[in-house]
Amino acid sequence: MMSAILGEGVSVERVAVDWPGPVELMDGETDADAVVYLQPQPGTLPDTDAVSTLVVFSRADELGGGRVDALVSARGLARRHARTSNGCQDVLAVSGLVALAGATLTPDEARLIASLSTLPRTEIDPLLLSADRFATYPDPAAVALPTRLGLFGIRLSIATARRGLRSHDALAAELLRASGISDLRESITRNFVDRAPVLQALSALRAVDTVLREDPRPQLANDLERLMTSAHEPRELLLLAALRTGRVSLGEHTEEALYLLGAHGTSPATRLTLTNGDSYAAALHWRTLAESPHHTTRERQAAHTITRTCEALITTGAVH
Amino acid sequence: MTAAPPWLEILDDTIRACATLRRGDLVDRLLDRRALLLEPGRRLVVTGYPGQGKSQLVNALIGTDVCAVGDDLTTVVPTVLRHADRPTAALITGDTTEAPAVESVATHANKLALVRGDVVRAEVGLPRSLLGAGLVLVDSPGFGAPGCPRTARAMAALAEADAVLLVTDATSELSSLELELLTQVGKLCPTVLVALTKIDLVPGWRRVAEADRHRLAQAGVAAPLVPVSSTLRAAAVRAEDRALNQESGFVELIGCLRRDVLTDPVLVAAKAAAATSGLAVDQLIAPLREEFDAGPRAADTRAVAEWHAAGRRVERLQRESARWQTTLSDEVADLMADLDHDLRERTRRILREVDDYFEAADPAKVWPEFSDWMHDNLTAVAETNSQWLLDRFEWIAGRVARQVVPDARQLPAEVLRGLATEHVVGLRKPAIEPFSPVQKAFVGLRGSYSGLLMSGLATTLAGLPLINPISLGAGAAFGARSVFEERGARLKRRQAMAKTTAQRHVDDFFLSYGKESKDATRLIHRALRDRFAEVAQELRDAAAESARLIKRDLDAEAARRTTRAAEVRRELERLLALRARIEAVRGRGA
Ligand SMILES: Nc1nc2c(ncn2[C@@H]2O[C@H](COP(=O)(O)OP(=O)(O)O)[C@@H](O)[C@H]2O)c(=O)[nH]1
Ligand SMILES: [Mg+2]
Repeated sequence: MMSAILGEGVSVERVAVDWPGPVELMDGETDADAVVYLQPQPGTLPDTDAVSTLVVFSRADELGGGRVDALVSARGLARRHARTSNGCQDVLAVSGLVALAGATLTPDEARLIASLSTLPRTEIDPLLLSADRFATYPDPAAVALPTRLGLFGIRLSIATARRGLRSHDALAAELLRASGISDLRESITRNFVDRAPVLQALSALRAVDTVLREDPRPQLANDLERLMTSAHEPRELLLLAALRTGRVSLGEHTEEALYLLGAHGTSPATRLTLTNGDSYAAALHWRTLAESPHHTTRERQAAHTITRTCEALITTGAVH
Repeated sequence: MTAAPPWLEILDDTIRACATLRRGDLVDRLLDRRALLLEPGRRLVVTGYPGQGKSQLVNALIGTDVCAVGDDLTTVVPTVLRHADRPTAALITGDTTEAPAVESVATHANKLALVRGDVVRAEVGLPRSLLGAGLVLVDSPGFGAPGCPRTARAMAALAEADAVLLVTDATSELSSLELELLTQVGKLCPTVLVALTKIDLVPGWRRVAEADRHRLAQAGVAAPLVPVSSTLRAAAVRAEDRALNQESGFVELIGCLRRDVLTDPVLVAAKAAAATSGLAVDQLIAPLREEFDAGPRAADTRAVAEWHAAGRRVERLQRESARWQTTLSDEVADLMADLDHDLRERTRRILREVDDYFEAADPAKVWPEFSDWMHDNLTAVAETNSQWLLDRFEWIAGRVARQVVPDARQLPAEVLRGLATEHVVGLRKPAIEPFSPVQKAFVGLRGSYSGLLMSGLATTLAGLPLINPISLGAGAAFGARSVFEERGARLKRRQAMAKTTAQRHVDDFFLSYGKESKDATRLIHRALRDRFAEVAQELRDAAAESARLIKRDLDAEAARRTTRAAEVRRELERLLALRARIEAVRGRGA
């Protein structure tokens, strides 16, 4: 159901191993319902279907030149891109290398890091200047460590160990946390897994569209066109992405909007959590916002989309 | 003042050649280049795709954080670094120059360029031995999508380079885009180096360096590749650590720069000038060579065919002119004979009737009616005969016209008819003499019949059918009136007298009408001949003139082609000679 397009020679395992939920990882673009686009360098983002695409800067540790704050900087960069781009649900910074290292850290490696963290600064700092220098450290595990963790991973885990988190599990957890892989998981779950039926329906419609293009039947094509442009769910998903990335803000109402749009679950009850379960009142409230002259066009459009969600909740009890 | 270097002469010759061949665009570009090449110091442009560490490398080279470094697209406009005794900075925009602080000028320029289109570059002067040795460093924006302003600025920076340092990082091998860029750069500026950055970060950088060198060799790019780490260099400078400096690769990089750029700056300039001239000359040669290879253009085949046709027409018209004259004379001779015979035939028939008539009739009684009858009949003869003449001439004119103007109806039938009629009008109203007073007395006629004659003539002319030669038979006209009224010798004498008188009258008519008819024929003949001769002459003149014009155009065109071919050849030879001189300068560098 979901595939990752590889922007460069990264293997699939490097990004993710075990996935929660009914998600299948595929390598390639064929028949995908949703796409995670891996891009080693920031630059022009891919021109793809906004609803079903996530963009990932997949070598975020190198992006920051291996500095300890490399991923923080890369994340800021990703957020900036997410805010300004309309071509995807979200942009994320992830270090696949560090994530994989966290998931597969060996006890030997953990031991080496722990022992290095006890060395005085004057001894350790020159080693951390370059991968070459580090590999000269007289320990059998040292040679392979730059390749396994990257300079960023080494610097990060030694800093962690210095703070007292020396155990294997603590080091592995910190590597995983810093890698940003959990952000990606969460984003995939939120944007794709929860909305799998919608994405599947859309991809089915797209498939029909492709077939129709080859064998035109005007009536059917018109119906399909209407269906695709009038479908409410893709608008919900785009608005969700816009709210999350900060392309649009609804101020104090943002949280309620996220609930209504199904950010925390798509069952009617969950959607109406912040609205006291009253879909009718919610519809009235959002319609007022949609017609309010105090809001920008984008904000009014957003409110309008949410009004439609509320109306759907009133009439059918669910959003379809 | 030292003597002008040889490359300057070549460059100037190239500029002149561009001007001769009206390539103003090339002239402008070469003049800009010439000015820069004459400046002291050689420009090393640091180029490559974004995020490869270009700005960081420039900073590491001079040991100061002047150029803006960032994880995102940072460099938007070039920063130019030169030697200066004390630090200076300038921000050059379209029409102004600011002087901000040295540390912030590049950052400021890049930020400003995001909101303004006219930021040109940041300029920095620093007291550094590397710069003092005659190196001008240019940190340029990374290449982006083709056609975007950043890419255009990167290209513009490259166009001014004396030497180029391509920066690629060790996190991946040289991309095909980078190789393509190198190939292009090599044509523009032959002194090229490659820096492989971020080797501190990548454990496998040696393998990447090997792979990159292999790719360079495969692409035919003769550029040394130096692995470096700007981070290590910065740390080494800070710690004044010689070993680390060595490790950073910058010792080797600076060595390379000194060897390839600074040892012989004149040669670097010469090679850059030669490459620029070479590119320009190639651009001049290409279209000329194409024209030369295509050979002189063949003459316009249609024009040649037209010329041949015109020549043939003149010849034919000349031939025809002899023929139609003969035709005309022959036809007219036939016509005269036929007319004469016809007239004779008709008058004889009239006389025969007169004889028959006056066998019985008494002239004294029937003379007035007879003289009317005679008049009518003679008029009819004249009418018919002259109409015939007219018709025949029309036919002859048509026939001759077809010979004179073989391929066109340039002489409409109306013209001919008008021409002929003019001369026949006289014939149609023949002056038929009234009977003399003696005759009048003899036949004892009452006066005014000549008036009758005239009016009779008028009616005849108005309505007589053309084909019926004698419309009124004598018997039909007078019936058996008074034939037997008078007998005897007087009657006989009167009858003989009347016959003789009629005979003489008809003879007179025959002579005078015949003469007039012949005169008319001759006149028409002459008029036709003159007119046709005139037309034929006009046609011949027109044909000859058009042939002459076509021929003149053909000759002019041929002359132009020959001149152009010679011109192309001369120009091409000159350019190829220039090319050889350029190659010689290049060869010395290799
Ligand atoms: N580790 C490491 N990082 C580098 C090196 N050179 C550049 N960087 C990093 O690469 C990123 C881009 O550098 P920058 O000079 O702005 O690249 P530019 O766009 O080519 O000018 C920055 O985050 C730098 O810190 C290097 O030699 N080693
Ligand atoms: Mg830069």
